[in-house]
Amino acid sequence: MEQEGRDLLPDIISSLHGSFAPGAHSELRAQRSLARRVTLLGGNLVANARTDQQGVSARVYRDGVYGFASAADLNAQAAKKALEAATDNARFLETRVRPGRGALPPIATGSFPRQEDFSDPEQKRYLDFVKAVDDYIRAKYPDLTSRTVVATADSMEKQLLTSDGYAAHTLAPRSYVYVFLNSQTKDGMPVEVFKPVGGAGSFDARFTDPAALYPEVDLLYGHLMKKREAVFAEAGLKTCILSGELSGILAHEAVGHTVEADLVLGGSVAGPNLGKTVASPLVSMTDFAHTAFGQPAPLPVYVDDEGVLAEDAELIRNGVLTGFMVNRETGRHFSMKPRGNARAYAFSDEPLIRMRNTAVHPGPHTLQEMIASTEDGYYLMHTNNGQADTTGEFMFGVSLGYEIKEGRLGRAIHDTTISGVAFEMLKTVDMVSDTLTWSSSGFCGKKQMMPVGTGGPELRCQVMIGGK
Amino acid sequence: MSRELETARLALDALLEYGAQEASAQAQTSQKREFTIEGGRFTLLRTTLDHSLSLQALADRRRGVVSGNSFGEEAVRKAAEDCAASARAAQPDPAWELAKEGGGVFTDGAPEADLEQLFERTKELLDAIHREFPKIVVEQVGSEHVSTRGVYLNSHGVRYETLSGRYGLDLLFSGHEGEHSSSFNFTGVITDRLDRPFLEMGDLRQSLLDAENQIHTRRPEGKFEGRVIFTPACLGGMLGQLLSNYAADAVLLDGTSQWKDSLGKQVADKRLTLSASPRDPRVVCGERFTPEGFPSLDYDVIRDGVLRQFMLSAYAANKTGKTRAPNRSFALVMKPGDTPLSELIASTPRGLLVSRYSGGASNASGEFSGVAKNSFLIEDGKVGPAVSETMISGNLAGMLDRVAGISRETVEDGTGSLPWLAVDGIVISGK
Repeated sequence: MEQEGRDLLPDIISSLHGSFAPGAHSELRAQRSLARRVTLLGGNLVANARTDQQGVSARVYRDGVYGFASAADLNAQAAKKALEAATDNARFLETRVRPGRGALPPIATGSFPRQEDFSDPEQKRYLDFVKAVDDYIRAKYPDLTSRTVVATADSMEKQLLTSDGYAAHTLAPRSYVYVFLNSQTKDGMPVEVFKPVGGAGSFDARFTDPAALYPEVDLLYGHLMKKREAVFAEAGLKTCILSGELSGILAHEAVGHTVEADLVLGGSVAGPNLGKTVASPLVSMTDFAHTAFGQPAPLPVYVDDEGVLAEDAELIRNGVLTGFMVNRETGRHFSMKPRGNARAYAFSDEPLIRMRNTAVHPGPHTLQEMIASTEDGYYLMHTNNGQADTTGEFMFGVSLGYEIKEGRLGRAIHDTTISGVAFEMLKTVDMVSDTLTWSSSGFCGKKQMMPVGTGGPELRCQVMIGGK
Repeated sequence: MSRELETARLALDALLEYGAQEASAQAQTSQKREFTIEGGRFTLLRTTLDHSLSLQALADRRRGVVSGNSFGEEAVRKAAEDCAASARAAQPDPAWELAKEGGGVFTDGAPEADLEQLFERTKELLDAIHREFPKIVVEQVGSEHVSTRGVYLNSHGVRYETLSGRYGLDLLFSGHEGEHSSSFNFTGVITDRLDRPFLEMGDLRQSLLDAENQIHTRRPEGKFEGRVIFTPACLGGMLGQLLSNYAADAVLLDGTSQWKDSLGKQVADKRLTLSASPRDPRVVCGERFTPEGFPSLDYDVIRDGVLRQFMLSAYAANKTGKTRAPNRSFALVMKPGDTPLSELIASTPRGLLVSRYSGGASNASGEFSGVAKNSFLIEDGKVGPAVSETMISGNLAGMLDRVAGISRETVEDGTGSLPWLAVDGIVISGK
């Protein structure tokens, strides 16, 4: 593949296996993270930025505590020093808190082959692409009050060496273009719609021709025009069809976080519900590692940052909560196999329990059937925000939705919020569509940022919706 | 010469050599020491050494920005070359500007870490929570010291040298009784001294006490318009949304701000004065200079209810013909009122005391609708049970017109100083 201005990480750590202290579980990681961003706001270039971060880190486990150290240098000497500092930090804690938890259970060892390299286009490529899309919008839709076009690309390249797990050299690039369109209602109230397009891969592999985006822009403009005539949703408990975008964020925020083992230990609602019915029998949910339903998952993870070979983590099967996501340490606590959920964002971050590609499984219905059989409700399509509690109480911002009246889509609704308690709301699911929609442009925030994939089919359920 | 100065000089010279007519280079070295506590026990100690290099090039009024973390000569020159190339590829815009005056040498906070004392203060906090708040489960704590040494140079001769250090504590927790639990909540402080327990800083004690009383909840009946008293922690988030919606770069540049023609006009209750004050002594290690190199000065965004200043960068100010904000921080300080919090509560017939708001990002209209988390019902002037699944909705700008009172008490968490703010006319929806 074409490569512009990018060199692979130099191999500075694979010869350091002998530096690991005996009796301690150790990880050594070299990492380079790239981010590129171009933003045209109303035709003004307000962001034109490139960021490169690189460094090494080491984490050492001793008897129940970890020491961690990192440095912003990519050489063997820095890696060795990080390892020494991490060992010292582990000792500092070990002598003060005397954890007495023993060694971690063994995991499979091996070496994962390096993935295909990706290209890193020069900034002009992003600028030209964004300008072409912006020119199209400006010329075709001059009545907009504002428009914003953003091109982003980020990537993580990691080389990992562990004392007792997998070694790996992984690359994870992703690229997106966002389009925001703004207008006003006849009363002068601002309305906005937006859509990200993209996924895994380098920018020039994903985006070869700006014209390929124009149909998406036209569709988005159509929604905006309908939103200019929007009505406020009627507040209360309503029958709603959540799009795949919303059911994906529900899977991630309202269920996924509660079944992360560190949050289970912190008292999340999932703890006492393992093995119990938490959803309609129509609902199954999995955190996919790299492949889902025979296709590549949007943001594949092959080996995690503890050196665990990644595999799928089943969370809900036919409505029953079947598992948590664990790292090596919490896997020991819950007697569950680690499946590759320990992920670190920056070189200076330690691995935390994180999701990868979390999705509700598709079901037997078509979206058309679901709308046609809904007398009075809402079809909620886009979200701009989502948060959930360890109790499973969730809130999602809805930035695009329509009324459903007598089995047909009606007027657009203004931005609103839906909320509920996941394990109660999921029991009300009575129809699940046969189409899986993935989203992958966002970051999950849990002490560190992390790119994650979320996905799902359309779900029909009862949910609280906010109104005027 | 420090390594930061050497790197900034190398980068600035390279930017000019590669064709920039104006340029800036900022080089920083930071060290973080951090204890992590999970499930109530110490699990990790971290030492992080990092660099940062931020470059800006203006070539024929075209701008490029590159940032990285390598101080190696080859990497710095490559970053400068990329930055100049990005600028050349950009469209020209005469609004970009770098400061032509300013500079200084500053030492702030506690540059040297006392790791033993940080460990002892953190352990003391965990022990105190265990002893005084038996229903609290500490989900996660991060206690850290961060020191930063930096140099900013630009091609107009502006030079800043800074050395700073601060301690920080973040606490994530919830209340539990059997299988019942409160919503999680979080709080934190930034400080430059460890001369008193963390529990006595910021709003830590009150937040923990509240969580113990939020385990059993009630969902209010129906929908009604009432008064909401926002705690300082929650108020900070609401003000952040409000200022982003009405006073920040993006909304003034695209003209969607509903305050775009309101400078000098009344936008809030006369009792309300809100400033961005990174130099306030209650703010720890606040901003010393803006990204364009101007010295940071405190200013009022709203004074006595009148909009005095937008929070604009030099670029957005030049673009819109308005005045540049004297700093670019969000170190918010609100002038306290003269009413005790107890009186604000006592004068509330029906409403909520809201500690956390979980809601969708509001758009330019300012309409908001979200869940009141970690919140209590107020009925007949008394704080009642905690609530669950209760939504609040209103308009961000409209809120400022319907201020019912501002508390005399404030919370200082090292990032600013805010009181409790009581607002009428918020729609509260229960079951």
